[in-house]
Parts: sequence; C-alpha cells; structure tokens
Amino acid sequence: MSLLNIFNQVEISHYIYLSTVLFAIGLFGVLFRRNAIILLMCIELMLNAVNLLFTAFSTYMGDSDGQIFVFFIMVVAAAEAAVGLAILVLVYRNTRKTDVSFLDQLKG
Amino acid sequence: MIALFVTFFSAVILLFAGLNKKESAFSLFAVVSLFVSAALSFACANQMVSFGMLESWVPANMMSFGKEQHLFAALLAFITGFVILMFRENENLGTDQLGLMMFSLCGAYMMVSYEHLVMLFLGIEVLSIPLFVLAGANKQNLASNEASLKYFLMGAFSTGIFLLGTAFIYGGTGSLELEMMGIKPSFMHAMKGMPIPVLINAGIILMSVGLLFKVAAAPFHFWAPDVYEGSPNRTTVFMATIVKVAAFVAFYRLLNTFGGIKDSWASWLTVLGGMTILWGNLAALGQKSVKRTLAFSSIAHAGYLVMFLLIADGTNTWILWFYGFSYAIASVLVFSIANQAYQQTGDFSFDAFNGIAKKCPIVAVVLVIGVLSMAGIPISAGFNAKFYLFSFAWQHTPWLVGIGLLGSAISVGYYFKFFKHAFLKESNNEMQFVDRGLLISLALIIVALGAMPWAILNLVF
Repeated sequence: MSLLNIFNQVEISHYIYLSTVLFAIGLFGVLFRRNAIILLMCIELMLNAVNLLFTAFSTYMGDSDGQIFVFFIMVVAAAEAAVGLAILVLVYRNTRKTDVSFLDQLKG
Repeated sequence: MIALFVTFFSAVILLFAGLNKKESAFSLFAVVSLFVSAALSFACANQMVSFGMLESWVPANMMSFGKEQHLFAALLAFITGFVILMFRENENLGTDQLGLMMFSLCGAYMMVSYEHLVMLFLGIEVLSIPLFVLAGANKQNLASNEASLKYFLMGAFSTGIFLLGTAFIYGGTGSLELEMMGIKPSFMHAMKGMPIPVLINAGIILMSVGLLFKVAAAPFHFWAPDVYEGSPNRTTVFMATIVKVAAFVAFYRLLNTFGGIKDSWASWLTVLGGMTILWGNLAALGQKSVKRTLAFSSIAHAGYLVMFLLIADGTNTWILWFYGFSYAIASVLVFSIANQAYQQTGDFSFDAFNGIAKKCPIVAVVLVIGVLSMAGIPISAGFNAKFYLFSFAWQHTPWLVGIGLLGSAISVGYYFKFFKHAFLKESNNEMQFVDRGLLISLALIIVALGAMPWAILNLVF
C-alpha cells in the first residue's frame, strides 16, 4: 500500500480539526503571550497549521495548486521572520527588552 | 503590467543607487518613473498603447490586465508619485527607502490585478513587508520602533488568519482561481465528508477578517492610530492612501466572486461598516494630535468604502476608483501641509496650524479645500465621491447610508478644528511653506473633480 493511500484513509475532517486546533493554539499564543520571540513562534505555528491544511486538501482533491501554495507560504514566512527579527533587534537596542509591554508608549 | 514593470525596475535601480550620494536626483528619478508608470497605464486603459507581449508573459489565470486594473494601477502610481514628491525635503532617509516604497507599490499592483489567490497573498506580503521596514525607518525614535513592531505583529497575525481562510476556500471550492471559485463549489468530493458550505462560509469570514485588518476597519483597527502616529510622515501617508485603496480593490474582487452567496456575508459586513463609520468619526473627535485625527478619519473612510463592497457588482467599480482617488488626493494634501507645519513648529498638535491664514493665505485656502473634500462638503471631490456612493447604496442598505450621513455630520466637528486653528488663532512663529505650486495643483484637481466630475469620469472610464 502506498503512502498516499494511507493518508487517504484518514478522513479529511480530521485534518481540518487538527489544523484548526493547531491554528487556535498559535492564535491564542499571539493574543496572550508577552515575549515577542514567542509571538513570532506562534505566528509560525499558525502558518504551519495552514500549510498542513493546504497539503491535506491538495492530496485529497488530487490538485497540485495547494502544495505549490505551501511553498509560497514557506518562502514568505521566512522573509517575514527575517524582517521581524531585524525589527526586534532594533527594538532591543533601544529598550533592552523583547517584551511587547513596550508597545503601549503611543497613546492618544 | 507596464506599471509593474517600470516601477519594479526603477525600484531595483533605486536600491542600488544608495551607493551614490546624490539623493535628490534619485528622488526625482523615482517621481518621474512613477508618473511614467501612471501615464502608461492610463494610456493602456484607453488602448492608446498596448504592451501585449509583456502581458503575455504572465499566465492569464494568475493576473489579468483589463481596463479597470490599468486604471487602478494608474491611480496608485500617480498618488505614490505625489507622496514622494511632497515629502522629499524632510526625512532624508536615503534612496533605498524610496526603493522599498516602490516595491511596496508593486505589491499594490498585484493586489488590484490578481486572478489567483496565490497572487493576492503575494501581493499583500509584497505590499506589507517593505512597510514594516519603512514604519521603523526612524531607528532611534521609540515611537517609530513601536509602530514598526506593532505593524509587523498585526500584519503577520492578519496574514495567518487570511491564509486559513484561503485554505478553507480552497477546500470548499476546489480551486484557487477567482473564475473557478465563482462557478463551482466542487461537489465531487462532497460524499467523503467534506463540509463544503461550512468551509466556504468560514473561508469568506476569515479572509475578510484578514483584509479588514489591512484596511483598518473596526473592530480590527486598534493598531492603526498607533502605527500611523509612530511612523515617519511619508510612510503614514502611503499607508493611509495606497494600502487602503489597494486592499479595498482586492477585497471587492474577492467578494464579487462570491456574489452568488451574498446573503451569507452581506449582513455582518453591513454591521462592521456601520461600526467603523461611527467608531472612526467619534474617536477622531477627541484627538489632540493631527496625525491621530487623520488616522481615525482614514478609519472612518474605510467604513464608507465597506459600503461600496456591499453594492459592488462589477459594473460600478468607477465609484471605488473615484472615491479612492479623491480621498487619496485630499489625504496627501492635508498631510503634507501638516507635515510642513510640524517641521517648523516641532509640534504635532493642532496648534501647529495656528495663524496660517495670516502668514500664508494661499496655503490656508488650499488646506480648506483639502479638509472640505475629506469632510464631503459640496464643490469638492469628496462630496461627489460620497454622493455617488450613498446614492448607489441607498437601494441596498438604506440604514447604513443613514449611518454614513450621520458619520459625515459628526466628522465636521473635528475637521472644523483645522479651520479654527488656521483662521482664528494667532501665533508668533515664522512660517514658510515650500512646494506651493504642487499644493495648489492638488487643490485644483480636487476642485475640478468637484465641479465637473462627469467630464473627468467620462475621460477616464
């Protein structure tokens, strides 16, 4: 039995649940954690949950578009992480912390 | 396509031009190439020239280059040209930043002409990632740092939500192409337990939330005032105009695809639109800083444009074009006067405007025209834009139009502050305004669009 068939035996709804749960873990992490590096990791988790879902749908429907999309997401996530970490270094130089509690300086 | 081509290669040149020290020459180069992009796209839209060979390089199911797309590309390039032109004196930040701004503009072009969700996603990211950098361009300034980090976190977060929506749509419709998505929710896999209606509805909601973050509509607008206030002025204007217009075009194209199931998304979008209009206008009333006031005013304008999403049917795109153009021109005008006043007084409260009428009457008149257009008072572009929008929306969502009118009435309260400080207050500071010719020409465009909109719309559409 090929690998593809094993994947097809798992119902698609299970993939949907799994990636929704993973996504929710990332989402709540972004909302409730205070350390900017953890926030970056949580955002990665959200994106990877999406990647899993795309791959599952793609395999399931026999359509390659979804898997190509995953590559685009990975590339963009890497670019985004590079810029995000650079911004974080900038912030750290000026404030000596990586805590997002710093984000309340601007108030109307 | 030609705009994308010209802008991209100019941006590459500008990125390398940082090695050279003659910055003013290169900012002129940026402006010229943007106006050339705008003119060529405009010519393409009216079929005066054609770049068929260039466009044939792009697969037709990825991006399309119809008249509408060319006109929006022309709008975006034209406005960016003015942004760079008006803000070239201050913040001498180097040519690489002009390059980044133009890369960001390339993302905006992709967002207005996408046919495939990969291109939409890439467009949003190409638009956003340079802006994260540009928002933090004042490296020593804590406010700028904060704006940059906040914009980055919100941008990445909203991208995640948007992508989950994309994945759901992909599962529900079996395709990522706009054309295919509209025709068939593919039912060929329905028997194996794919909950298709749930997937499509959840997908639309999640993608909309991602885009509502980008256009700063309530309740996803909380980042906008801080980011707009902390960013360098040039970046703020770019965010308030280009990002908003491009995101709304992308949004309208997406929702138009799902026009067949409008009932499922129109209701909550109406509520969010009304909320955005009221929230933006009411919050703007209490602001002391000019930049924050304009940020909340741009949130309110996002609310009016949500109204457009509800009436868009593919034939009335000119309303979005006209609204976007008049809003962007007025924003650039008011922001650049505020920027010059800020440069001289070091103060970003309304007091910076004190006594402009005495010292520079021409600038005061120009300011009045810009602010009246943003408020939507007759014989200005903003009035006509709102008039067309509201009169078309009246049949579909009468009570949202009511809220829009109420919001416009409230908005006079804070727009009046500009007049109060410019005309009624005195100040001892010396004031010099440069670029008066440009300010006057922007004001003339606003008045022309206000006085004879049909002459111009017929010329364009």
